[in-house]
Amino acid sequence: MDEQELIIYEPERSIKRGYFSLWKEIIYDTKQSSWLTWQLFLRDFKAMYSQSLLGVIWALIIPLVTLATFILLKSSGLFSVGVIEVPYAIYALLGLAFWQLFVTGIVQSTNSLVSAGTMLKKINFPRQALVFASFGNTIVSFIIQIGVVFILFGFYGFLPHWRFVLFPLMALPILLLTCGLGFITSIINGVIRDLGRLLGLGLTFLLFITPITYEMPETGLIATLARINPLFYLSIAPRELALAGTLSHPLGYFISCALSIPIFLFCWMAFHLTETRIAERI
Amino acid sequence: MSLRNENALLSKDDDDVVIRVEHVSKKFSKSLNRSMIYGLSDIARNVFSVSSKPDRLRKGEFWAVNDVSFEVKKGECLGIIGPNGAGKTTLLSMLNGIYMPDKGKITIKGKTGALIAVGAGFHPMLTGRENIYINGAILGLRKKEIDKKFDDIIEFADIGEFIDSPVKFYSTGMFVRLGFSIAINISPEVLLIDEVLSVGDLSFQNKSLRRLAELREKTNAVVFVTHKLEHMRSICDRVLVLDQGTNIHCGDIDEGIIKYQEVIREKKLREQKVTQQVDNKGLIYRSSGEIVIGNYGLLDNFGNEINAANFADDLTLFFEFELKSIIKELIFNVAIFNQKNVKCMADWSNDERNKMDRKYEFTNFQKGKYRLILNYKNPRLTPDIYQANFAIRNPLTGETYAKIKKMRPFVIKGDVSHRGIVKADPSWKLKPL
Repeated sequence: MDEQELIIYEPERSIKRGYFSLWKEIIYDTKQSSWLTWQLFLRDFKAMYSQSLLGVIWALIIPLVTLATFILLKSSGLFSVGVIEVPYAIYALLGLAFWQLFVTGIVQSTNSLVSAGTMLKKINFPRQALVFASFGNTIVSFIIQIGVVFILFGFYGFLPHWRFVLFPLMALPILLLTCGLGFITSIINGVIRDLGRLLGLGLTFLLFITPITYEMPETGLIATLARINPLFYLSIAPRELALAGTLSHPLGYFISCALSIPIFLFCWMAFHLTETRIAERI
Repeated sequence: MSLRNENALLSKDDDDVVIRVEHVSKKFSKSLNRSMIYGLSDIARNVFSVSSKPDRLRKGEFWAVNDVSFEVKKGECLGIIGPNGAGKTTLLSMLNGIYMPDKGKITIKGKTGALIAVGAGFHPMLTGRENIYINGAILGLRKKEIDKKFDDIIEFADIGEFIDSPVKFYSTGMFVRLGFSIAINISPEVLLIDEVLSVGDLSFQNKSLRRLAELREKTNAVVFVTHKLEHMRSICDRVLVLDQGTNIHCGDIDEGIIKYQEVIREKKLREQKVTQQVDNKGLIYRSSGEIVIGNYGLLDNFGNEINAANFADDLTLFFEFELKSIIKELIFNVAIFNQKNVKCMADWSNDERNKMDRKYEFTNFQKGKYRLILNYKNPRLTPDIYQANFAIRNPLTGETYAKIKKMRPFVIKGDVSHRGIVKADPSWKLKPL
């Protein structure tokens, strides 16, 4: 009997055991649930596009509509984008691709626990799989957007810089950051539903005040806010590398990348510590 | 800290304890708004390793499970019973690791599996086949394991070619059968079961019970929550009875079931007293004015008023009434109903008059107060809560002078477990034909 798995449930584990022993559990959970995460992703993916005429094309429509909105706003002269040397569609779509990675990622992960409903209350499984799986659809639509970018390159006869190949790699920091924040927002949304609604509102606003679809102004409130916003750096840097091969804000970008790792790890641990609280409140 | 605890547990001589629950409590909040605030504060405290003082109740909180301790040894099956809201499901959820206890500690040896939510996690748009894989994954199986069990699952669920149709086209029966089939085909070391054996038709239920019996051979321990006392009797070795979150009995099944039935009776009696108070002014009592019914109740063998009678004793009811005018002849009707509103006994005082050619004794009444005593010689009514209807009528004209419907309930106590209305102690014989 002694060599058997011994499970202990008691209150206030973090105080009794310390943070480090938690990582053993987290790694164990992650190993155990990799296939589950894949299955949950497949479930959401298949379910999302079943009983729908357009199916996967929806993943294309949403960024295109956002793009069209900005092109319309620009051409009607409602807002000025500054001096941009590449076709605006390419410029905006490259920036939006990373921004959307953040937006859809955070929205889907925030709702991932709440939408699981009774499953959470009845079955004990690593809940992190729900959060991770919620990124599946986000990544699929990211890949589709990159496909559209290629089409635009061909359409305009534009040749990107060779550093464009780093694109997938550069998605990593923003994914980590989003996933980390998603861990926290999913838990909070499990307790207070207002968060899910606030997010939809706040993210649209955030997009307008973040200089992604237009050049960053030299001074003013938007410039100040952008300077302290890691999402700004993480969204525009890949585009700069793809188009020009250089970074305009290297320091901000590297700090943001470096920050994304501890933020992700801390939030992951916080999630692990508090996931059982959600079943109580959902 | 935890290491020391583990060693302490393993070094004890009772090596065969599979589940140990030590002074476990769990609190919940009654108000949704407070629950949100407490939830956020608990989460923040947990993350930053500040004690959330789980052992204290905050305003609006209550103990859903309160200081429960028990052990389940290797090979044992423990049943949990209790009235609704007693904390059974909360306790089972803690054993399953879905809630953390707020006080105390739970130690389990071996992989835990639960037969709790049948079909939770099913996606209606996906086919039965796809759902088997997803549900299996959620329940902790790997692909190979599901591949191996796939045929068994389909065969057990008996859903035929529907396996490749979306689950939303399934009938309710097919849906739960498939869910149950997945859950029961997992072979965990510690099995938790919550009220799922009432799934499907009788033949499916029997199939499930047979599978459960097989599972018991393989598992280390089973914890089983049910309302079906028959299942409890046949499956479990011991029973834990919960009432309002506390452990009121842990051990022998027959004793436990009697305790449980007592608790249920008391609870219903309390509920009825509340409604009775409301109803007292209403429709229950009617009088024409010529007769007014006064006190009524139960008597013991010595004529003292009592609240509850014993199963083995005689049952004696009394009714007091006052005649406001002279009446030539009266008949009395008494009917006794049990908790399920079944009329268990109904007697008219003139029932035997013609048959037995006996002189009817309730004639020529003068004004004044009377007490009617009705004695049943050991009626063998099973322990339950009973209520009586009582009426005083005129046999010649059919007039009703006064009647009470559903009078104040009384209890028949006893340590026999009850299944029917009367407990008649039959003898059983079996002969080959």
